[in-house]
Formats: sequence, structure tokens, C-alpha cells
Amino acid sequence: MSGTELPAAVGLASPEWGGFDPARTRGRGAADIRRSFGVAARLGWQMEANWTDPVLFFIYSVAKPVSSALILVLMLEVIGAGSRLDYRAFVVIGSALWSFVISGISGLAWSVLDDRERYRMLKYVYVSPSDFLVVLLGRGLARVAVGGMGAVITLGIGVVLLGVPFDPFVVNWPLLVIVMAAGIASIVAIGILLAAICLQTRQEAWSYPEAVAGALFLISGAVFPLAVLPAPIQAIGLMTPLTWWIEGVRDALFPGGLTAVGGPGSLFTSLGSQGRPDALQILVALLATGAVATLAAIAVFRTSDRRAKDRGLLDQTTGS
Amino acid sequence: MSSPYVFRPTRSPQEAANWSPRQILATDLRSVRGRAYPRVTGMFREKSWVFFEILLPFLATSAFVFVYRALQAPPEYIGFVVLGGAMTSFWLNVIWMMAQQLWWEKSQGNLELYFAAPMNIMSVLFGMAVGGFVMSSTRAAAVLVIATTLFGVTFAVDQWFLLIAVFLLTLAALYGLGMVLASLFLMWGREAWHLTQLLIEPVYFVSGMSFPVGRLGVVGSLAISILPLAVGLDAMRQLAFADSAYPLGTPGPQIEALILVAMTVVFLLVARWALRVLENRARSEGRLSVRWQ
Amino acid sequence: MSDTAQSQPLAIDVRGIRRVYNVKPKPVVALDGIDLQVEPGEFFGLLGPNGAGKTTLIKILTTLLLPSEGTAHIFGFDVERQTKQIRRIMNMVAGGEQSGYGILTVREQLWMFSQFYGLPSKEGWQRVDQLVDAVGLDEQREQRVSTLSTGQRQKMNFARGLLNDPWIFFLDEPTLGLDVSAARSVRELVLAWKAAVPGRTVLLTTHYMAEADELCDRIAIVDHGRILALGSPAELKRRVQRESVFRLELDRLDGGTGALRRLPGVLSAATAAADQTAGEERQTVVVNLTLAEDAALGGVVGALAGIGSHIVALRKSEPSLEDVFVELVGRGFDEEASEGEGAEPPAPDQTPDPRDTSHEAGETEEEEALV
Repeated sequence: MSGTELPAAVGLASPEWGGFDPARTRGRGAADIRRSFGVAARLGWQMEANWTDPVLFFIYSVAKPVSSALILVLMLEVIGAGSRLDYRAFVVIGSALWSFVISGISGLAWSVLDDRERYRMLKYVYVSPSDFLVVLLGRGLARVAVGGMGAVITLGIGVVLLGVPFDPFVVNWPLLVIVMAAGIASIVAIGILLAAICLQTRQEAWSYPEAVAGALFLISGAVFPLAVLPAPIQAIGLMTPLTWWIEGVRDALFPGGLTAVGGPGSLFTSLGSQGRPDALQILVALLATGAVATLAAIAVFRTSDRRAKDRGLLDQTTGS
Repeated sequence: MSSPYVFRPTRSPQEAANWSPRQILATDLRSVRGRAYPRVTGMFREKSWVFFEILLPFLATSAFVFVYRALQAPPEYIGFVVLGGAMTSFWLNVIWMMAQQLWWEKSQGNLELYFAAPMNIMSVLFGMAVGGFVMSSTRAAAVLVIATTLFGVTFAVDQWFLLIAVFLLTLAALYGLGMVLASLFLMWGREAWHLTQLLIEPVYFVSGMSFPVGRLGVVGSLAISILPLAVGLDAMRQLAFADSAYPLGTPGPQIEALILVAMTVVFLLVARWALRVLENRARSEGRLSVRWQ
Repeated sequence: MSDTAQSQPLAIDVRGIRRVYNVKPKPVVALDGIDLQVEPGEFFGLLGPNGAGKTTLIKILTTLLLPSEGTAHIFGFDVERQTKQIRRIMNMVAGGEQSGYGILTVREQLWMFSQFYGLPSKEGWQRVDQLVDAVGLDEQREQRVSTLSTGQRQKMNFARGLLNDPWIFFLDEPTLGLDVSAARSVRELVLAWKAAVPGRTVLLTTHYMAEADELCDRIAIVDHGRILALGSPAELKRRVQRESVFRLELDRLDGGTGALRRLPGVLSAATAAADQTAGEERQTVVVNLTLAEDAALGGVVGALAGIGSHIVALRKSEPSLEDVFVELVGRGFDEEASEGEGAEPPAPDQTPDPRDTSHEAGETEEEEALV
């Protein structure tokens, strides 16, 4: 202890003297969010890309969506509908896009489980100044990117090897871009919802994203028209952003092709006397349902976050 | 008053180390029970699995049912999908709750305790299988019963004994394969995590989850010879829908039952060998207790 | 040593053990020629800083790791080839263990492990209940493992380690991360267990000097994969300070310290400033006394009584094991090893084991030769 006279303490001591600087508690708003997101995204990619063999990584990240498409194509074959190229296009697009869904929702959910159970880092991320939700979004982005890669390749295989009729000159590119952006945002919202649930559950929740994706598969018109479903379930499907997203992508890539939302016997047709939705209706429905899903996801996440803190779940390990 | 620390005193460490074959067997069987315990207990302590492991998978199976309905397929194809959906419960249990499990145990710090204990590590895997079986059989039964009722599936079984035998043999072969995968995944480390993805939809495809595997031709034949899910599912479909016009291209259920017996024996022997090699290699490289590998 | 212990092979017999990890950028030599013999019934300590090789050695002895060279036996069983036999008679507890299943209760967790050691179910529950009481977790027995504090979890781990009543118990930094009270509890448990079953052997690794000093019959100081010194705590401290140093507080000392210096065995005696607590008035004389050996103290006490001095307080001043380590290596446990990097590790100690009868009688410590 030096013999220097200390200045009389008036409020907080000055930083020059080594005291507390309140400026440090003030964040930098959007700059902090951008930085957190960027770091998390880079981290997510490094973790996803931490494979010893890039060729192997390519194979298994593509095998999943391609196999899903092939299952459906074979189902058409066994029924004798294999020659209907419009059916084939319908199921190939649906299953290709589904890899986005699985990757997106599992990416966020597994980030929570990974960080809590395997790396035991969840609590440290929480106590850092970064918003956990932003970090989660960044981490999940890598898996969405992997899913996107699989989707593109599956579509490519569908066009090149499975005879899906694709003409780039008839594609509605502006619709495609807007629909993809809004659709991915909706997928991420569902992922946030599932991540919120994973904060409350135990280790076996690894399989939950697949289970949720499987259930959504039923109501989203991914591989069959909603008209086949009972009316109440069709209604649920119409309130799901994924339904409108897939419909919008189909409409953009194959204008005039088979519709999952409309058609004879569909709830959409019976409500509006319209055979199929047009591009504007698709966009409005997608944005509206997407907004609702996003708001609900954020609300559920915040609630789950509070509950997890209240019950000390952030640093638990729950193996069995 | 006896000390709580003293337990079955032996005269020397040599006496304590010398176990009879009966003692060894008893320890292995008790270990199966011990390891199954947390799985089964966990089911009753956290009940969210009822929603995620039963209701949602049922909905996923229903999606494929509706695909066939949309295509106006013959009714037996609905039955194929329902049976396929029920059997995938066991396959998912194998890859999520067995294949990954030793790698997971290493992350938790349990693996070295297991290897430092005197029981056979296969007992631990059996215990995991038994514990997981309770959950997956509940899921399979729920999918089967609900889907059958809802979609009006009609079964026509002539040979009940063979059907039950094939089902049990399929499980035995599946869990044997699960043990092989558990040791491989532990060796491959983090790659195993990604490789799990290779074992879901691709396996569903080559196993004919939603269609008779015979339609895959050569690929189907290959699948039947190496994948328990493929051969078991095909045999059960032939037995459960005995009156349907089942597509040719696959062996009869009796032959497929024998294939399953052979698979079970081979997988269990390979698992035993793989776990021994794994342990030696892990001890040599010091990988039994390093988390991030 | 009992007849039974004498007729048993060595509890631990390590000869020429080397362990190299092939990691990038260059291989790490974790153990560099370890020779170690531990008798049955001993409480043996491995003391050294982080990275010394203690955990590597324990992993070899607990059959989790193979040595790159050399041999090791536990009660005559080879760690490489007779793993099953060893696993039946040993158990291990490490510090900072987070193993187990959070969803189970303490009782259930321990019962599960009892099954792995072959206990019948009912007997397993009984054993678990006994051990839960013995380690002081009776109030937590039905609590989920995920809700235990660090200290409680370590007690549970300790109970797990005793389920099979091991002949040899490996403790790898068992008090790591525990608070003072919890660490003390764990040490007391170890000692209670050892007292209850005196023929059992313990190998403890630690970097806490006081812990090794308190618990161990013999200690090996390890660094950079080599044993630097081996002996009882007292023997090791005598390497640094062969004399016995005492601090006496006397009510008076007539005639100064001259008379004390003339006593046999007294190497030096000098008065020192007394510690004064503020507000207290004490009139005492403090004498720092250096004796050739502890036995000389008797003569000093007698002499003081003869001149009418009363001893108010007496304290022995001993070097710590860290002093021993510093003398051997030239740095403390917490200092960066930068000085030692690239340099040859110090040669292993050649201090004869007092119980090794192959040495000639009369050999004194001064005749030790450090290679």
C-alpha cells in the first residue's frame, strides 16, 4: 500500500485511479449484436466444418436429402405414377426444401444441447454480454447453410438424373428470392421455439428436431397436396408458414405446376373458390404466418429462458 | 459393531480378484440391469418423450400414408408404411441411444469408469439396449395401434409364431448392429456425430421403409443381406399381409428369418471383437478419457 | 507389517515406465522412466505440479492407459494383460468428476455402480445406504445428482469408490476444486476408511503439499515425468533442513541464551522479537532454537526448568514440501516452467529407501550420492 493520499471518494472513483468505469456497462447496440452474430456464425461453421474428410462431409450432407427424395420417387414408381413428371417435380422440390427445415430447426436446438451437455459452455455464453438468442442464431446459421447445400444438390440431381423438368427462363426469380428469405426466417423461428423447449428438457431431446420436422412434414404440403387431409388439419397447415414457403418456391420454379395448397377438395379452394393461390396471396400469407411464428417463438424463448434461470437449468447435465 | 467400510472381507487381493464363471456371468447380467435403470427411470421422470417420441413420429408416419392416399395406392401399401413407421422406432433407438452412446459417455466422463469396472462393456451396451427398448417399443406400439385404427389397416397373419420370431430376431440383429456401431463411433469421434445423418434417410431408402424393398432390385438384395431393418421389415410385411399381392424379388420369410439369425450372430461376434480392439486402441492412444476427440 | 501383508506381492510395482503421447506439433513425454514400489497397506502419495505425469501414471495403473515402455503390476497382476483381475480389486476417484446421470438420485446412482461390481440388488441397496451414511450424505440420499454441490458430489464419488471394498484405492487429486471444509471432509473420510481397513493400499496424487504431508506414509515428488525424490514427508523435509528448528516463548530467561547454546545438541539459540497483538501486554522472551535433532529438546526443557523459566509456547518450524520441491527443481509449483523448458529434467533421486535392507547398515544421509 503506497503512502499516497487517496482522493476523497465522491460517488465512483475515476477510472484513471483504477476505479470502476460505468461506461463499460453500456453496450454498443447494433454493433454488439453484429459482432456477436458474426463470431457465433464463424464458430458454428468451424464446428460444423470440423471434419477430417471434406469428401465424406459432402457425401453425408447430401445423402440425407437425396435419399428423402428417392424414397418418394420410388413410392411414385411402385404405384405406377413414375412417369408423371409433374408429380416427380412436386415431391423432389418438397423433399429438397425439407433439408432446409431439418437443418434449420435442428441446428438451433442442437446448439443448445451441445453447449449445455457436451461442451458445458452454455452458462459462460449466458453470462457474457452477448444476447444468447443472437449467439444461437449465429450458431444455427452454419447448419442452415449445410441444409441449403443439400437442397440445391438434391434439386440438381432431380433435374439431371430424375427427369424433373426445369426451365430457368420461366422461373419467377424475384418471387423465389423473397419467398426463400421469408421462408428461412420462418424456419429459424421454429428452430428458436424448439431450442426453447430443449432448454427445459434432458439429453434425449437430440431426437426432438427430427420428430418435429416429421410432424410438420404432414401438414406443410411438402410431399402431398393438403386436399388429402381432413379439413381441420388443412386449416392448421394453412396457418403454417412452411406451407406457404414450399408453395411459393414451387410456384416460382415451376409456374403452373401442381399445387399443394389449392386443387379439388382443398380447404383453400372451398373458402375462396380459387383453384390455386397466386404469387401475391402466397407472399402475404407467408409473411403473415411467418410474423406470427416469429413473435410466438421469441415470446416462448424468453419465457423458457426465464424458467431455465429460475430453475437452474442452464448448467445442468442430464445424461441417462 | 461392524464398520460400514468393510464388505465381504477376503483374505488377499488374489482371492478377491479370482472370480468364478458364475460370478462373472452374474456381474454381467446385473450390469445390464444397472445400465438399463437410468433409461427406464428417466422415462418416468421426464415425460416430454410421450409427445416427441410417440405423437410426432406417428404424424411423420401419417405423412407417408397420405402420400399413398394422394396417389390412390392399393390399401396394403398403407399397411406397409404403418409397419415401416413402427419399425423405424427401433432403428432410431439403435442409432441415437446406442451407436452414439459410448462417445456420449466419454464426454460425460462415465466411459473410463465403465472400463475401470470389472464387468464386460457389452453388458453396458445391452443395458442401454434394454432401457431404450422400453421407450421404442412403446413408440412402435402406439404408431401401429393408432395408425391401424385411424387408417383402417387390415392385417392378415397366417404364421403368428414366425412373425413374432422374425420381430424378435430383427431386434436382436438391430441391437447387435448397434453395438458394432457404438464401438466404431467411439473410434471415429466427432465424425460419428455427422455419420449418424447417413444412417437415417439413406437407411430408410435402402430398407424400404415406405415401399417393398424388392422394388430396389440389386440394391434391395444388398440391403437385405446387410441391414437388419431391411430384411426384418420385408419378412414382417410378407407375414403380416399374407393375402396381399406382394411384389416378388425378395426371399420368403423363412429364408429371411435365417438371414436374421446369421446377422445376429455375426454382429454380436463383430461387436465383441470391435469392443476389444477399441479398448486396446483407446488404451494405447489414451483416448478413453479425453473429451473432445 | 502383518504376516498377510508380508506374504503379498507389492501393491504397486512399476519398472521403467515411459509414456509418450503422439500429439501435434511434437510428441509429449508424459512419463520418462518411472520406477516405483509400494507395499501393501501403504498410503502413498505422488506430489507434483500440473503436467508432472501423475494422472498419466494413475491411468496406467488403473488399466485405462497402456505404457509406451516398461511394466507395471498391481498385486502381481500385469496392468496390460490382467486388467479384469485388477478391476475387481481396485477402484478410483478423481477430483472434479462430473460423471454419472443427473436424473438419478444419489442412492440410485450408487446402486447402479454396485451392479457393475456384481453386487446382488438387495445387497447393493444395503451397501449403498451404509456408505451414504458413512460419507455424510444421508440428507441427500434421495436428491438428484444434478442438484448436488461440488463437495456433495465428491462425497458421492468417494462412496462409489468404496462400493466394491477395493484392495487398492486410487485417488487422483480428490480434493480438487473443493472448499476447505469439503476438502477436509474428504481427507477425513479417506483416513477413516484406511483406519477401518488398515491392510488396504492408497495411491494419492495431489499438488496440495499439506494434503500429502498429512495423509501419506511416503511421497514421491514428480516433475516432467520423473521421480525427483522419494521418502516419507519427514525424510524429504530433512533434505532441506536437517536440523530441528523450534520457536520457544518463555516467561523469562535469566542469563540470556548462552547457557542454552552450551547444551548438547543445541546448534544455535538466539532471542527474537515477540509477536505483539495490538492491545495485549505480554512480557515474554522468544528464543529461536536450532537443534541437531528433536531429542535434544528434552535437555533444553530440563535446563530451562532448572533456571526457573517456564515455557509459554513451543512451536516447531519445519520446511514445507514445496521447499523440498524448490530445492530439487529450482522453482515453485506455481511458477512458469519457462526456466526448465528445453533443459534436461533433473536426474532422479537416489535416496535409499529406509526399508530397503539391501543397503549397508550405518549409511547416513550425508553419504547419499545424487547422480
